[in-house]
Amino acid sequence: MSRSHFDSGEKVKKKLKIIGFLCNWCSYAGADLAGTSRLQYPADIRIIRVPCSGRMNPLLVLKCLQEGADGVLVSGCHPGDCHYQEGNYYVRRRMLILKNLLEYFGIDKRRFHMSWVSASEGAKWADVVKKVVEDVRDACEEEVKTAG
Amino acid sequence: MVWKIQGVEGENYLESIKNFLNQLLKSKNVDAVLVPKRFPDGNNTAQVLITDPGKLDDIDPLAPVQMVNSAQIVKELTKDPVKEKIASVLRPCEVRATIELIKLKQILDARLYIIGYDCPGVYNVKDYIEKLEKSNGIGKEGFTLSYVNSFLSGKQDTIRESCQLCTHFTGNSADINIAWVGSNSSDVFIEVNSEKGQSLIEGLAGEKIGDLIERNQKINKILDERKKRQENEIDDFLGFMQRCIRCYNCREVCPLCYCKECLLKPEKMGYSSDRYLRRATKKGQIKMPVDTVLYHLTKINHMAFSCVSCGLCEQACPMDIPLGRIYNVFGRKAQALFDYEPGRSLDDELPVATFKEDELKEIEDVKE
Ligand code: FES
Repeated sequence: MSRSHFDSGEKVKKKLKIIGFLCNWCSYAGADLAGTSRLQYPADIRIIRVPCSGRMNPLLVLKCLQEGADGVLVSGCHPGDCHYQEGNYYVRRRMLILKNLLEYFGIDKRRFHMSWVSASEGAKWADVVKKVVEDVRDACEEEVKTAG
Repeated sequence: MVWKIQGVEGENYLESIKNFLNQLLKSKNVDAVLVPKRFPDGNNTAQVLITDPGKLDDIDPLAPVQMVNSAQIVKELTKDPVKEKIASVLRPCEVRATIELIKLKQILDARLYIIGYDCPGVYNVKDYIEKLEKSNGIGKEGFTLSYVNSFLSGKQDTIRESCQLCTHFTGNSADINIAWVGSNSSDVFIEVNSEKGQSLIEGLAGEKIGDLIERNQKINKILDERKKRQENEIDDFLGFMQRCIRCYNCREVCPLCYCKECLLKPEKMGYSSDRYLRRATKKGQIKMPVDTVLYHLTKINHMAFSCVSCGLCEQACPMDIPLGRIYNVFGRKAQALFDYEPGRSLDDELPVATFKEDELKEIEDVKE
């Protein structure tokens, strides 16, 4: 954020804490590529490497949200490309219930996202993060409004 | 296919069921039956494993009380392979739980015969005991029979909430179902649903009969009422959760919670003392015991597909959290996502154990 940014009177955006669970074989490598290609994307995401998106358990996502994360992103290989053949097909089903139940628990759906990013899609990774950050920020701002 | 077995009809439904089980044991089609029975002392029924037909007196599967989900007992009984054939007489929710457990490889079903029956619903244990004590000496059998009559005449508001919401109260996924709703006499009919079921009644004198039209009408009427009840939503989930003291009762009684190593066990949920303090410092305060919402959220996520809505969790909850309704609502929502019905059939695959390559494209909600 540059100096002029401040001066122009724009609101300084609150830093978010978004936890990204990235599978070792695709999305993690994709994020790495984004870095080595010097692509710019918001720094609001903290990355945790998991062996496969199929490793994800709903508890991991819920725990993050409960401990104060603003959002969670789960990202794996494209369907069909999972290093372990099927991990992402299963996790897709499991995360679908989670997403559907979140609202009942007073958690905005926009705080949870999934994406498929391959090792060669550094640019897609940067885009995904931008979109997730935007979405989570919207959800947070709305919450502040309704709570206030 | 519906059968009428000769010589079964007794003075009331209980006796007819007893006579039928008697024939099963005497014909050696099975070696043992598991069935709820009354005892001279104690205000409850308990599952008993009977091998001697002479011990069938006082069986009472229709008593409006359910101490455990008997699928848990079937699991215990079948954990090692045996050569004896066991017939388990189960309420429909127990039938469904048993089928789920077979699919989850927790029950060995090679020698197991599942007998379902039309279930009139149950009271919470507390209510049952209270009502029985106030029933002016009509006795436990008399109480069951008068309850069955009031069920048939359409009264059922004080039964357990999950029973009021239950739309699967006949055992049509069991090997055979003992049908009595809609029977004009005190006779019971045997609905055969599988080959195993057919082998169960082999050699018994009986005849096939056509559809029981009156039965279907009665059942549909009850179904309509209950479907209407199901439309109610959970409005204050978080509020209810505030009451939870994380006693783990609901986990213990749940027939589908089978993991030996539970992710939610107390040692894993708690923190070290300094961590409690750190967490409290972060927010200024924390509610103890911690993580009650997290506990339920995770449990619901794990159970939602297989939950058969037996309501045992609600009965076991010391804080009167309406878990029966909560699980019923969330379970149906999750199951609808994959058009799955727990316990409907052994052939339906568990939604989390299978997938289609070409589905759920919409889950990737952040695309370029
Ligand atoms: S290894 Fe990437 S999703 Fe399974």
